[in-house]
Amino acid sequence: MKTIEEINRRIKNGEVVIVRADEMPELFEENPRRAAEEVDIVTTGTFGAMCSSGAFLNFGHSDPPIKMTKLWLNEVEAYTGLAAVDAYIGATQISEDKGFEYGGGHVIEDLVAGREICLRAESYGTDCYPRTRVETTLTIDDLNQAILFNPRNSTQRYNAAINSTDTVLHTYMGTLLSNRRNINFAGTGEISPLVNDPEYRTIGFGTRIFLGGAKGFVVGEGTQHDPKNGFGSICVKGNLKEMSDRFLSGATIPGYGTSLFVGIGIPIPILNEDIARNTAVRNNEIKVSILDYGVPRREKPIVKEVSYEELFSGRVEIDGKKVKTSPLSSVKISIEIMERLKELILDKEFFLTKPIQSLPRDTELKTMKLREEVPFVEDVMTKNVIVAHPRDSIITVSELLVEHGIDQIPIVDKKDKLVGIVTSWDITKALARHEKKLENIMTKKVITSKKDEYLDVVARRLDKYQVNSTPIVDEENNVVGIITLADINKALRRR
Amino acid sequence: MLKFPSDVVDSPILAETVLKTGVLINILRAKVDYDEGTIVISILGDEEQQRKIVDTLIEKGIEVSRLEKNITNDISRCVDCGACISLCPTGAISFNKDWSINVDGEKCIRCGVCVEACPLRSLSIQEE
Ligand code: SF4
Ligand code: SF4
Repeated sequence: MKTIEEINRRIKNGEVVIVRADEMPELFEENPRRAAEEVDIVTTGTFGAMCSSGAFLNFGHSDPPIKMTKLWLNEVEAYTGLAAVDAYIGATQISEDKGFEYGGGHVIEDLVAGREICLRAESYGTDCYPRTRVETTLTIDDLNQAILFNPRNSTQRYNAAINSTDTVLHTYMGTLLSNRRNINFAGTGEISPLVNDPEYRTIGFGTRIFLGGAKGFVVGEGTQHDPKNGFGSICVKGNLKEMSDRFLSGATIPGYGTSLFVGIGIPIPILNEDIARNTAVRNNEIKVSILDYGVPRREKPIVKEVSYEELFSGRVEIDGKKVKTSPLSSVKISIEIMERLKELILDKEFFLTKPIQSLPRDTELKTMKLREEVPFVEDVMTKNVIVAHPRDSIITVSELLVEHGIDQIPIVDKKDKLVGIVTSWDITKALARHEKKLENIMTKKVITSKKDEYLDVVARRLDKYQVNSTPIVDEENNVVGIITLADINKALRRR
Repeated sequence: MLKFPSDVVDSPILAETVLKTGVLINILRAKVDYDEGTIVISILGDEEQQRKIVDTLIEKGIEVSRLEKNITNDISRCVDCGACISLCPTGAISFNKDWSINVDGEKCIRCGVCVEACPLRSLSIQEE
């Protein structure tokens, strides 16, 4: 048994023993008692995209002064619903001129790197703040305060992602190739901070941590903190002015948005053997579920349960095939963070703190309460579908279109299986080009949907592929319905 | 990389060249606009065979340039996250022992998937 005070005394006396989280398992297995007694601190680290990040900034007053009601930093909007010249810039806010290529995360990186930022603000003007517009350029040195304040960082555990559909998906878990051709996973496994203290015995409110290259603090539990399911997280803050762009990087998650890579290191004081045992965790003991992101629902089906060891090996076997894996967090920089933290402590620049309060261990994770149920495709689709056959003449099909007042007709074979689709535009083109055969003008790669999908999901699909309708097929590719953009708009408007 | 001027865009030059020289090529990427086209090929064969292809193409009025570098990684931007690794169809990107990223230009077929996916925008493919 040791105390934080004793460990801090050992730091002061230059006697402290520090090991990295990846070195601890071997020491502990050799001799648990001795490891717990001799090791004072285990350093942990992580460096990955953490979307729930941002910074509070105070710009000082201009003359005449302005109460900023709208604010853009390098064309990225910042939240100004605070005092006159206070604002919060969030990592995922995308820029109005560069879209996903530049966002709040990049603004934070540019500030930290000392680069100039363009500020543009508007206001309605008041008696005490008469100014209505301001435009200027500034650097972080011109600000009164720049406080990194991240509501949720360093989540304890993550799921991994795979994609079973036949199109590439762009998700917050990165680019997922079609037909299960890659697996992306986040987190740094055995060196990740909360993994080494899963019961929050040493990490709590007020814990001093390494954040973005400087000293920071755990403010409390993170948003969506879900300790019962092993998805705990922390809310952290620190002085952006002291941080370094080596450990804070703006990022573009293609097709998804922007984010901020944040570097966090947490020293775990080894106060007793239990705490030591937790820091001796190995990658093969940490389980991760690979979820199918092809299902755009809150609950995604589990494709396989694996360990971090398997994920870090570079390949995971799925249905007899070796699928390549990609981490999304940087092990290299995480190791650097553990080393830096160790140096800071050895240099007597970083002392440990005892939490003033523990992180909650019993909060429940809620889901969004919805006023109304979201409709399913089945509730909205047209069930009596007019279909045609590949051998039908163009004239027959155009007559069907006119007769039923529809714009498209799914084409089915003799066994009623979907083989294509023809729109009134295709028919117009065919007539203009004197094309006679339906087969030659129909679109063979049809965007289809299933009847048990949510309407919102199908609406997104129509938008993504720029089509006006989608046949609804069953497992055997038989057409059981059709849904058009007009049907969807009508149904969603009713909501 | 081959640059096709407007007057030859619609003739089957590559096929002719392969037939004439008997040397095989791989088309890595092709972009043809109404007035010009660029095609990136790799020539399978030894130096002499490569020469043959290049000479034939030049004869036909094609601008030929050698692309020294395929994929390049700006290590001042790269954070070694590894997001690019599993996307590469040829295994051109891998981790070194110290978890830094290694990109192997020799194995790269210039598909561009990794360039598009890199969150730090540190990867690029030489175009000219
Ligand atoms: S995805 Fe980009 S930042 Fe990440 S390792 Fe690859 S090149 Fe580096
Ligand atoms: S461009 Fe394509 S082939 Fe080349 S390294 Fe990137 S993913 Fe691999």
